Amino acid sequence: MKKLNLILLSVGAVFALTGCNDGPTGEKITYAKSAQEVYDQSCKKCHGANGEGNTEKKAPALNDRQAGELELDLYDVKNGGTNQSSGTDHDIMEHNMKKLIDKGYDYDPKAMALYIEKSFFKMPSPEDTEEETPATEEAPATTETPTTEEANATR
Amino acid sequence: MNKKQMKEGIELIDAHFKGEGISRRDAMKLFGTSGAAALLATGATTTPVQASEAKGKIVIVGGGLAGMSTAARFTNSLDNPDITVIEPADMATSYQPGQTLVGAGIWEGSAVDYKTADFVPSGVTLIKEKAVEFDPDKNTVTTASGKKIGYDYLVVAAGLKLDFGKIEGLGITETITTRGDDKAVRKVVGKNGISSIYFANGAIDTWANMQQFVDKAKSGKKVKGIFTHPNTPIKCGGAPKKIMYLTDARLREAGARDNAELMFYPNGSKMFGVSEYHNAIQRQFEARDMKWNYRHNLVAVDTEKKVATFNKHWKQKGAWDEDLEEYGIEMKNEKVEVPFDFLHITPPMKAAEEIGSSPIGSSKGWVPVNKETLQHVKYKNVFALGDIAAVPMGKTGGSARKQYKVVVDNVIAMMEGKSELPSKYAGYTVCPLITSIGTVMLAEFNWTKKPTPSFPLDPTQERWIWWLLKVYALKPMTQYGMLSGRA
Repeated sequence: MKKLNLILLSVGAVFALTGCNDGPTGEKITYAKSAQEVYDQSCKKCHGANGEGNTEKKAPALNDRQAGELELDLYDVKNGGTNQSSGTDHDIMEHNMKKLIDKGYDYDPKAMALYIEKSFFKMPSPEDTEEETPATEEAPATTETPTTEEANATR
Repeated sequence: MNKKQMKEGIELIDAHFKGEGISRRDAMKLFGTSGAAALLATGATTTPVQASEAKGKIVIVGGGLAGMSTAARFTNSLDNPDITVIEPADMATSYQPGQTLVGAGIWEGSAVDYKTADFVPSGVTLIKEKAVEFDPDKNTVTTASGKKIGYDYLVVAAGLKLDFGKIEGLGITETITTRGDDKAVRKVVGKNGISSIYFANGAIDTWANMQQFVDKAKSGKKVKGIFTHPNTPIKCGGAPKKIMYLTDARLREAGARDNAELMFYPNGSKMFGVSEYHNAIQRQFEARDMKWNYRHNLVAVDTEKKVATFNKHWKQKGAWDEDLEEYGIEMKNEKVEVPFDFLHITPPMKAAEEIGSSPIGSSKGWVPVNKETLQHVKYKNVFALGDIAAVPMGKTGGSARKQYKVVVDNVIAMMEGKSELPSKYAGYTVCPLITSIGTVMLAEFNWTKKPTPSFPLDPTQERWIWWLLKVYALKPMTQYGMLSGRA
């Protein structure tokens, strides 16, 4: 019994002590294209020149979320869902993303999220509460759009 | 336990400490030998070296494991802490990871019960109410009774709600929490072989149902047990499988395994996001004759006839996509009916409505935070952790154990006027996957989607020592180490 306690205690101690100082890990990946290049050459075709989305192509808007939230979504799509067996609600984009990565359109989710926010994000105004895709007319740049500095502060 | 296993345990520990450059004996001296609880409560681990003189009013919404550990660590780290915890439930700090063990009759139900009041750090104000309104532009939170509470920093750790109402035929319309009032659910889930370990009383009822199921198989009847996994993020992603492994173990113990068919129906198409663990689990399932059927989402239950209806969905080749310059795919689905004797439901889960639809929520309900700093994406003085945070893979006690330190470090840095948030969460999660009575596979991983084992051992193996860790060591570590803000 004494020996059992010893094992328990040791295993507990090791488990409690390890990994306490683990920073973000993983090797740095370099990407052939910048976020802007990938967006202009690929994403734009379906998600629109201003990230407004395209209902006909079933491509959701990307200009309604700030970088932090968008990064999580991009991360999820690129990683094939992030919950053990829950699956994902973007099977189609997952398929497309794999093909696009094969074609050289790989990107860093964080850089892409920041690029989309900086370029297209528009704060939802109280009037358009309906969940519709924004009309195609050119939306005037709102004064609410965060500055680059603010966007970078989320890093 | 046998000698071989004991020897393996000792060897493992020696190897670890050798790697650290100290002997086991010295390590034991260092940590004290008066039991794991005392050891971990003494805080040899990560107590902040120096208390900060920074000032600011901190409000924490939620007094469960994540919220209360955060409160404790703030208390340890600040000279003049001003901390308020808003938590309505009496048993919020209960040990939820133990519910799997309760569901399989290994622990009594009372073994997981811990009163919130016993874990409130001294000096912390507890408001026993629900926070119902959030006004992050004015830095206020309003409680159910209309009390308006101002803050300098808000930490959201409100956990999640179980949404059995999404499943038709159960007659449930409200969402519940694991440790709150569960009357609306318990009148259906817990009877007729329908079970769920995801709420505390449900775990107790699961054990009663499981015994009936095993008895039926033992009496010679052919029986069918089915286990679900929904299409939402869930807390403890391994539990839907753990309860299946334990059902298998109880059937074998009774010598009745041959009369039972056990089938796992997850919405997704994987056992695990990390391929090493995915492969290991599939091998373990095969070895036990446990079956699986991917891409099935439970949508309805006929409680009288004992039939579950799933939405089966699959991909097939679609039309040529000019933008993609490839064939696209299209989604197909159909309803599938499956009769059962025993049904374990992992319910859909979501953030509490009043938070999800508030300004600090998001379209999906979860509180969107930077996944590394845990700072809200819009409001710089708001942080979130635990089950309610929109963090990939992060809904486990093991994640919260890493996250609460990150939140405390970062809030204190802000209070001290620092421009950089110093602490980053790397996505660490642990899933002690119970694979039988007496073995556990300790699946540790992070966002690299690679195993990140704490021990120098093949992490895909089931081991008896991890069973010891899960059944004996993790509870004291959590209740006394983590909830005191130390380990």
